[in-house]
Amino acid sequence: MLKWMTAASALALITACGGKDAAPEKPATPATEAGDADTDAPDTSGTENRTADYNETRNAYFGDMHIHTRNSFDAYIFNVRTTPEDAYKFASGETVKHPTGFDMSIAGGPLDFYTVTDHAAYLGVLPAMNTEGHPLNALQRSKDMFSTDPVKITAAFQGVGTSVRSGVPIAEMYDQEVMNSAWARTVAAAEKYNKPGTFTTFSAYEFTSVTMPKSDDGTFGGGNLHRNVFFKDAAPDQLFSTLDSTNPEDLWDWMDSQRANGIESIAIPHNGNVSDGQMFKLETYKGDPLSAAYADQRMRNEPLVEVTQVKGTSETHPELSPNDEWADFEIYDRLLGVYTVSDTNYGYAREAYQNGLKLQEDQGFDPFRFGLTGASDSHVVGGSYTEEDYWSKVGVVDGLPVQRGSVPISPESDPNNVRGIKVGTDWNTQPDIPTANNAREWFSRWGASGLTGVWAEENTREAIFDAFRRKETFATTGPRMKVRFFGGYGFTEDMLGASDLAAQAYAGGVPMGGDLVGTGAAPSFLAWAQRDPNEGALQRLQIVKVTSGSEMVYDAACSAGEPDPATHRCADNGATVDLTTCTPQGDGAAELKTVWTDPDFKADQYATYYVRVLENPACRWSTHEALRNNTAPRPDLPLTLQERAYTSPIWYVPPA
Amino acid sequence: MKILRDPLFHFAVAGLAIFLLYGWINSARDQRNQTITVSNADMERMAALYAAEAGTLPSPEDIHAMVADHVRNEALTREARRLGLDQGDTVVERRLAQKMTFMIADLNEQGPPSDQDLQNWFDTHASVFERPAQMTFQHVYFSDPTDPKISSTLNALNGDTPPDWKASGDPFMLQRQYADLPAREVARIFGVDFSKALFSLDNGAQWQGPVHASLGTFLIRVQAKDAAQMPRFETVRDAVTEHYTDANRRAQNDQAVADLVAKYKVEIEGVSQ
Repeated sequence: MLKWMTAASALALITACGGKDAAPEKPATPATEAGDADTDAPDTSGTENRTADYNETRNAYFGDMHIHTRNSFDAYIFNVRTTPEDAYKFASGETVKHPTGFDMSIAGGPLDFYTVTDHAAYLGVLPAMNTEGHPLNALQRSKDMFSTDPVKITAAFQGVGTSVRSGVPIAEMYDQEVMNSAWARTVAAAEKYNKPGTFTTFSAYEFTSVTMPKSDDGTFGGGNLHRNVFFKDAAPDQLFSTLDSTNPEDLWDWMDSQRANGIESIAIPHNGNVSDGQMFKLETYKGDPLSAAYADQRMRNEPLVEVTQVKGTSETHPELSPNDEWADFEIYDRLLGVYTVSDTNYGYAREAYQNGLKLQEDQGFDPFRFGLTGASDSHVVGGSYTEEDYWSKVGVVDGLPVQRGSVPISPESDPNNVRGIKVGTDWNTQPDIPTANNAREWFSRWGASGLTGVWAEENTREAIFDAFRRKETFATTGPRMKVRFFGGYGFTEDMLGASDLAAQAYAGGVPMGGDLVGTGAAPSFLAWAQRDPNEGALQRLQIVKVTSGSEMVYDAACSAGEPDPATHRCADNGATVDLTTCTPQGDGAAELKTVWTDPDFKADQYATYYVRVLENPACRWSTHEALRNNTAPRPDLPLTLQERAYTSPIWYVPPA
Repeated sequence: MKILRDPLFHFAVAGLAIFLLYGWINSARDQRNQTITVSNADMERMAALYAAEAGTLPSPEDIHAMVADHVRNEALTREARRLGLDQGDTVVERRLAQKMTFMIADLNEQGPPSDQDLQNWFDTHASVFERPAQMTFQHVYFSDPTDPKISSTLNALNGDTPPDWKASGDPFMLQRQYADLPAREVARIFGVDFSKALFSLDNGAQWQGPVHASLGTFLIRVQAKDAAQMPRFETVRDAVTEHYTDANRRAQNDQAVADLVAKYKVEIEGVSQ
């Protein structure tokens, strides 16, 4: 009887969602206007609906917008059984079980917003295949995938990966009813946990497009063109996945048509670093030249890019920025599921900014005028954001330090049995077995990152989504440091002491994400960073300047002293780490604040400016784990790192 | 309930028990007799599983297909068992373990908790439902803890003609006053060290401090300090029910599995117990 009731209520829930979608609360937004959201004045209408912490000069809110649950094919196969509801519980501060059995709890307290983004391709299909009595359970593929024979499991699962990459559905498991049902439950969970003023959720999913690899080895490996799609409020009944088309431009067409029907959304691409040089390439998906229409459509649908997450950094790469001493940070370059190295060019944000300005100057359009975000991409419903408490990403294959390569594997390990993996003592005797090789090539180089910060008047869907549209966002590699950044023409040193500094900055300039239109005069920039009060102190605040022909990193504020005007570098503040305890040594700043003018400013030249803030050095997660295990840290990894934040840029546009 | 003491009722219950036992024996004999019985309960179970995953109730065609499938599977399974094919097959073993887990969960499906159950749960898990202590405060911020203006500003703010506190000190990136913040929120915004210091202050018209914390130095005026408060049971009844049901199901399932495991002596090669 009870089960019938469950079934009936599931049915009621789905009907309710359908009813909601059928009657959108708002009139359709014309597609052509949706991308134009660079207005800066805080919205003062509708004051009666404001929540308690409404702030005209905007608050910083932190969230993770990239989370997978059991409904993702590549989470379920790694024993993840936790649900979208569990994800929202984790972000609200409750403990949730990792698939290997330990309790995960969120570092730094609850987040302000959180979003489940399961793969739309085969959404919820693996759970159905593994449910006795479900028609999909009868498939031979289901029996193989949920057997205990590694060969059968791998074959069955790789078939799914191959299908996601090729975009050709496996007919027998491409069950649209099952996927729509899982999506309806995802939407219901987001609705249930969305609490205006306290906690914001969005209905969202991942569009998992992968390019064909250079060598077709039948695996999932290829260039990552993934993007997450976020619905502002109302969500459609059925999703557009890579099984509908692997071409992201077709996704934008679909988003445009949804928008015309009143369903507003944005997409955020991620892991350009492993896109095999495809994410920001200078041609369309099919190889045609870029156009103004392409740039319009891309910016209308993709105003933001995720530049830091567990699978590495997409800001820049040492080969692209040889003069940036901090460019070699959490670089990860292996294509999905293989050891092949990704092409570096056209995969990183800073280079895309430069190419965008080139296109702007040569052809009058810029398809890469995007803001920046960070996320975890955790596949176990909860992200690990701090180096001290890390659990990697995937589930049962990287849940233990020995599996993710922070402690050595014993050569005595049984390669054919996960339980046969034993902890060793010597890095010189790593066996040639999959667990050791995967740890070396993949997991040891993943990181405890990241989060998105937004500046919004209040913690509601409306206010946070509007901040996404304005690109008033910044990315951090995990800590909740806060960064404000404004560009204008009247900013003075005096302002730095004014009690209404933020109000003056909004009134006299544009915030991060905005265009600063030239007047002929040299602009000034106000950059202001505050440390995470529960994490490391700040070392320096930098302004990264990109033009069509160059890039430059200027230290603009130092934890001690002023930057050298000739080298544009802070003096070494002497901060280090005691590697026997992982305790940071030396002083840093609680906040860094400056009015900065560009010493190389040219009034007639397009320029893109963004802020990068660095913390003092701290132990990397792998060093913490080696220390806890009383073994030497892995020799091919950095021992320490400098956590950081990146703001969305301000784009200087020369006077016409 | 008078009926519980009625001999006729006892007779009826005993009769029912015999009837059920007979049914069970009969079905066992049916198995030996090569009969496959598909009961209403079986069909209800199949349909519920289908609905839980597909999100829609099965159509008559779906039910027909599921029943046909079930019969086919049952026949094949019995033959396979007769031939001993179930021994040492990992798929079968895994499926059996899963089925046992489902069964344990089913055994523990209980009716709605009584008022007394909930009240007891509420009493013994007070901290879960307690509204934590809260502070309403204003602050004046100095980024440099050695700033000489800190003590002069404190004196001026507590003097006869105090300056505008909102224009005192350095600009603060976030807000200068917060209402009804629990310790967890204070720690998120200002840090754990500040939170501890703040909650040790008392409310009053005077400015207090300086409080040195990881973000810098603060002068603080506490406008309201509300102690932790227990809500009345009636106002949080739904939350209590959810917590109670959740925790109970989890505990009973864990216990049932643990009881099962405890029946076995576990030996793991290379690990001494």
